[in-house]
Amino acid sequence: MADEQRTKEQAEEFHPKGTVAILVMFVLAIIILWGSVYVILLSRGVTV
Amino acid sequence: MSESPAAKPKLHVDPYEKNWMRFTIILLIVFAAAVTVAGFALGFQVPSPEERVDPNNLTGPWENPGLRELSPDIYDLYIIANSATWQFDPRDVEVPVGSTVTFYVTSTDIQHGFKLQDTNINMQIVPGQVSKLTYTFDKVGEYPYICTEYCGVGHAAMFGTLTVVEQ
Repeated sequence: MADEQRTKEQAEEFHPKGTVAILVMFVLAIIILWGSVYVILLSRGVTV
Repeated sequence: MSESPAAKPKLHVDPYEKNWMRFTIILLIVFAAAVTVAGFALGFQVPSPEERVDPNNLTGPWENPGLRELSPDIYDLYIIANSATWQFDPRDVEVPVGSTVTFYVTSTDIQHGFKLQDTNINMQIVPGQVSKLTYTFDKVGEYPYICTEYCGVGHAAMFGTLTVVEQ
C-alpha cells in the first residue's frame, strides 16, 4: 500500500520539462527543414 | 497449468512516451502523404532507367549527342558523361523559353551524377544505363549542370550550361 502510494507520488512529480523542451525544438527543426525542402521541390517545377 | 490472459502483467508505457509515439506516427503519415501527393497528384517523378546500352559501343542518337527538336518547343537532349575527357558532351545547350526537354544521359565508363541547377533534374549516371527525366523551362536564364558524383581527378571540370533564351 505504501509502495503504491510512493509510485503514484513519483508519477505525479515526473514532469521532464527540459527533455520536453529539447524534443519540441527537435521536432520543430525537423518540420521546418523538411517543409522548406518540400517547398523548394514544389517551387522548382514538375519533372516527368 | 496455463495462466489466464488477465493474469499477465500490464506493460507500463509512460504518457510522455505514448504521446511521443503518437506524434511521431502522425508526423510520418503527414510526410508520406506529402510525398505521395507530390508524386501521384502533382506528377513529380524520379529518374527512370530508360534503356540499357553498350557503354563501349554507343549507337543511334548517341553517335551524335546533343539537342533534337521533335516539334516546336519539344526537344530530346542526349548527353554523354565521359571521364576520358572529363566532360559532358555536349557542354553547352540552348533552348527557347517554354521548351519541354527530355534528358537522356549515360556514361561511357564510370559512374557520374547529373544535376541541373535550380531544377529538380538530378540523376545518377551509370554506364550501360540511360537515365531519363523531362522538364519544362518557363524562365529565361542559364542553368548550369554539374557532375554530383566524385568521379576522379577531373571531376571539377565536369560541367556544362543549358541556356534558356527568349523565343
